Amino acid sequence: MIKTLFVALLVLAISPVATAQTADEILANYFENTGGLDNWKKVEAIQFQGSVNFQGMELPIEMVQKKDGKSMMKADFQGMTFYQGVYDGETLWSTNQMTMAAEKSDAEATANHKLETNDFPDPFLGYKEKGYTVELIGKETVDGAETFKIKLVKEPIMVDGKEEQDVTFYYFDTENFVPIVVEKEIKGGPGAGMVGQTKMSDYQEVDGLYFPFSITEGAKGQPGGQEITIKSITLNPTVDDTVFAFPAPAATEAGTKN
Amino acid sequence: MKKLIILLLAVATLPLSLSAQEISLKGKELFGDLSARHIGPALMSGRINDLEVHPTNTRIMYAGAAGGGVWKSVDGGATFTAIFDEHPQSIGVVTLDPKDPDQTIWVGTGETWTRNSVSVGKGLFRTTDGGSTWKEIPGFENSERIASVVINPNNTKEVYVGVLGALWSDSEDRGIYKTTDGGATWKKILYVNPSTGAGDVIMDPKNPNTLYASMWEFRRSGWGFNSGGPNSALYKSTNGGETWNKIHNGFPSGDLGRIGVAVAPSDSNIIYAVLETEDKTKNGLWKSADAGQNWEHLNNDFGLTVRPFYFSRITVDPRNPDIIVKGGLSGSISRDGGKTFKDLGNMHSDIHDIVFHINDSDIMYAGTDGGVYRSWNGGTVFEIVENLPLSQFYHISVDDAEPYNVYGGLQDNGSWYGPSSSPGGVNARDWNSVGYGDGFRVLKHPTKNIIYSEMQGAQNVWRYDVDRNRTKTVQPLQEKGVAKLRFNWNAPMAVSAHVPDRFYMGSQFVHKSDDMGESWTIISPDLTTNDPAKQNQLESGGLSMDNSGAENHTTIFTIAESPLDQNVLWVGTDDGNVQVTKDGGKSWTNVTANLTGIPANTWVYHIEASVHGKGTAYAVFDGHTSGDMKPYAMKTTDYGATWKNIISEDISAKAFVRNIQEDYVNEDLLFLGTEFGLYVTIDGGKSWSQFTNNMPPVAIHFIDMQKQTNDVVMGTHGRGVIIIDDISPLRELNQEVLAKNVHFFKNDAFTMKEESGFAGSFGSETQFVGRNKSTSAKIIYYLKKRHTFGKMTLELQDMEGNKITSLPAGKSKGINVVDWSFTSSSPKMAEGKTLAFGGFTPKRVPEGKYKVILTKGKDTYEHVIEVKYDDTSLTSLAERKEQEELTSTLFDMVEDLAYMVYEINTMQETAKEVIENNSKGKKNAQKLYDSLEALRKDLVITTGDGYVASADPELRERMGDLYSGVASAYDGVSADQKRNFELIAGQLKTEQERFAKIKAKEGKKFMSFLEKNELPKPAVLSREDFLSKK
Repeated sequence: MIKTLFVALLVLAISPVATAQTADEILANYFENTGGLDNWKKVEAIQFQGSVNFQGMELPIEMVQKKDGKSMMKADFQGMTFYQGVYDGETLWSTNQMTMAAEKSDAEATANHKLETNDFPDPFLGYKEKGYTVELIGKETVDGAETFKIKLVKEPIMVDGKEEQDVTFYYFDTENFVPIVVEKEIKGGPGAGMVGQTKMSDYQEVDGLYFPFSITEGAKGQPGGQEITIKSITLNPTVDDTVFAFPAPAATEAGTKN
Repeated sequence: MKKLIILLLAVATLPLSLSAQEISLKGKELFGDLSARHIGPALMSGRINDLEVHPTNTRIMYAGAAGGGVWKSVDGGATFTAIFDEHPQSIGVVTLDPKDPDQTIWVGTGETWTRNSVSVGKGLFRTTDGGSTWKEIPGFENSERIASVVINPNNTKEVYVGVLGALWSDSEDRGIYKTTDGGATWKKILYVNPSTGAGDVIMDPKNPNTLYASMWEFRRSGWGFNSGGPNSALYKSTNGGETWNKIHNGFPSGDLGRIGVAVAPSDSNIIYAVLETEDKTKNGLWKSADAGQNWEHLNNDFGLTVRPFYFSRITVDPRNPDIIVKGGLSGSISRDGGKTFKDLGNMHSDIHDIVFHINDSDIMYAGTDGGVYRSWNGGTVFEIVENLPLSQFYHISVDDAEPYNVYGGLQDNGSWYGPSSSPGGVNARDWNSVGYGDGFRVLKHPTKNIIYSEMQGAQNVWRYDVDRNRTKTVQPLQEKGVAKLRFNWNAPMAVSAHVPDRFYMGSQFVHKSDDMGESWTIISPDLTTNDPAKQNQLESGGLSMDNSGAENHTTIFTIAESPLDQNVLWVGTDDGNVQVTKDGGKSWTNVTANLTGIPANTWVYHIEASVHGKGTAYAVFDGHTSGDMKPYAMKTTDYGATWKNIISEDISAKAFVRNIQEDYVNEDLLFLGTEFGLYVTIDGGKSWSQFTNNMPPVAIHFIDMQKQTNDVVMGTHGRGVIIIDDISPLRELNQEVLAKNVHFFKNDAFTMKEESGFAGSFGSETQFVGRNKSTSAKIIYYLKKRHTFGKMTLELQDMEGNKITSLPAGKSKGINVVDWSFTSSSPKMAEGKTLAFGGFTPKRVPEGKYKVILTKGKDTYEHVIEVKYDDTSLTSLAERKEQEELTSTLFDMVEDLAYMVYEINTMQETAKEVIENNSKGKKNAQKLYDSLEALRKDLVITTGDGYVASADPELRERMGDLYSGVASAYDGVSADQKRNFELIAGQLKTEQERFAKIKAKEGKKFMSFLEKNELPKPAVLSREDFLSKK
């Protein structure tokens, strides 16, 4: 009897602490632990150098993201440069791997991408001003670790002509308040309906801010996934904006170096 | 005072916290990357309880499976995805919020078509984000079966929930509940008695205050079923459920059974009801044209009256009140307001629900015992949805083939076997039929290619000779002087591990055959209670007789032969007896009385005779057919004289147990199959942990362990066959291991599998394809903590410490599994205009030992693994060494060429610089540039694209193809490959000489020009630097 009472007291004593966390507190902790909100706000552009391990090949990749929404990812391979998801503010484009020529993404993908341009450097930064909502769903064990599950709802997107909510779930490690897993339903293509899962680890400091240096993309419940290993990150690099521009037709031959 | 309590608290918790130093990891914390894979099959799919279409978006629909969860389609029913995998899989109803149908979905669990083998539910759930997260709505924990969730379209905070309730016991949770605050509080607004539940709750679509409700008096036991009674009735409320009136005007007097009811969406005055009554001529379809005030009997065809407990759904065309569809054995459709019906088109029998497309009544969806079907022509032709792996196994077994096969029988879907892995994944076409009817136990003969299978009640037991494609019926038959045989619906069979042709079956007796069923001997007395009160199946059914054989009772249900002694046999009966013989059946001991803590007559669902001791066995007990949902599992080590309870409080209180599987190596490692998923213990049952990695809490009816692979194979009743590959790491887990920061698990040597067949992937866009077992080497380690900050890498090295490759490290707390496909790096290819696919082929490593180096911050952990060649290889060692050597030679040649092209490119860049900026040197530079360019064009492709505008292959492409062909082959180098190699090696040499000449002639001139003018020379890296440059 006495034991039961103590257990009950114990539960009472602990539970207020456990429920005191709100989504905003978690996010505040996250920004604080990763360099401070003010420092995050100062970031104008980020350049990532890294590699993707593909069948024993280390494919070097480079990514650039800018506050004005321009973004670019490229991989050099066998003397050719493949661009993926390059955005100049108006046009979203990628390299066609048959012709090595640049091709525009469809209007819907471009419009949806445009909605993400205010997410630099982090969608949670000023989420209220952006009209986003966040909600603490609860605690969940992911990757064996206890996490806070936070739901982020951004601007609605279009999926095959119909408007849909844009929902992402972030799992923040309860110990250090950094996200270790992000999940999002795959809306189109062959995996539609499945949940895409991004795992983040190897957080390291870059000029006072912390970034994950290992990012693994996969599908929830499925083994494997593709790891992107970040080798270096440059904050506010000098980037010539021409790299984002959709190449003029003549320039499509510039795939090779000669 | 407060301080005192805190002090007391500290003292009281001290011993607790001391013992808490024992590390007890649960579920996802422990199992990490050990993940289940699902292999279906989906070709016969499984029972559907409820279908729901989106009110405005024609692409979206939902299927609630009887035992397989909730599935969502976003493509008009072409494909489905599971969205309810963390919750009970038995579904009663899926309802979308009319105002927020994209986000807010209600799921009532517990299937409602109450056959003998139904699963149970565990309450009411709701998502407000389209199914990503679900919350349980408090108040319905004991509902067991929820038949209806009805939402007021004008005020979606007003919701009615119809609880059908417990099938095997009384329950005061039955009835109709209402909330007016979106589910925060509930009021029970219609309750009849503990045996009468809510069948249908229907809202008038035009007037949400008008409700119709059918109440049904019903009960099932392990040996019978009753539908109907004085309390079954059809009610109407016109004030939002405040008061209810029976609306029976015109119905026959006497008891009623299950009642299905529907309001025509286009005319609220037209109500249809299907009735089960005492008067057979009055069963079937009734119609009211005045909103239930008066009723007229229209039709009592077979299709309208068949098995009301299983089929009583009526659906009215949303646009035409005269078009009615009714579920049934085949399903029926009327186009004259219910006067006449015809069968729906061919599809799997037993149709439980039908819905119309929201805009086009030609399009219909049907939920059957065999999945979801679609019709495009008003119900005449149906096609099956091919990616719903909802198969409901009663039993599974495995063989020792490679890859091993899984055998099993399904509810209403016959018996099958299929491979645990198959080229391209386990497809529908991989499954082979080995029995009709309801399928149950399917066993492979231990040495011959012969399969035993059965149908319900052992009406047929088949011995199927696979090679000769011959079937013989071999069930034991009654003989003179012997009582009538009582077989369970799911009759037990067993094959002997000691005498391959020996085959056991159980009625109330144990039957033994030593000639594969040709002749049988009874080797036991009646081992059941033989209680005549449980043998009146002819009276089963209630108002509608239902003697399918499914309720046969007082039968043997499980037979287990000791793997250590052929004379030790265990028998468990459905009426609670555990009996054992130590002399091959000469004498039997009833050890039931020793089962302390097991209520009398609790169904003995499975006995597992242990490999760890002749007298050791496990028995699990299932009391759910008498309303007792508690988990029971016992262990004996002395032939049943004493038993130890091995259930801990970690197991959900309602997770009744159907199966247990012991590990063949570690006696403390056990797997428990419950109504709500899989539990694992590593300490012999002191504590259990639920396994939830890609493993829904589905009813597990049988578990087997495949000995060669250490795979745990589960036959689930709703999600097909689910496999956890290689559980051997769990054998090593103990406190010492769990306390380490990093622990590498032991591995046997890994075989580099050489199979290289073909796999057509046609149809996989819309068909379920089961995931294969990975054939890679597995590097398995435990991390005490999830790695989040700082670098962590995993590298493979040869024993001298040279890097082979780096692998993506797993960083989860718990068990991590990293696959390695036995390869090192791919060669660096020369730069060109198109991709040379040779560059995608990595070298395979030779047989031997390799070091795994895990680096975590400043700490390094080492582990050695071994890989070996395939025993089934068609290649001699000498041939293999030749292949490995040529692979290395070609790898180097490919990189030599890459370096030469790099040198050329670099020199050309400098030359170009001079051509553009230095008129003095332009001539020499141009000469060099041109001769290099002519050379380059012979080395690599410089024009065209990667598809049909491709240029002819140059040296790089031809060399790359040869490299790739040799490197990826498992056999020796062919004569043609050798000749091709000579040609290519010769060409490389020629081109290298040509390059040397250019360097000596044009190059030299150019270099001396640069020197004279003090211009920078081409910055050519060394070969080594070039190759290591990323």
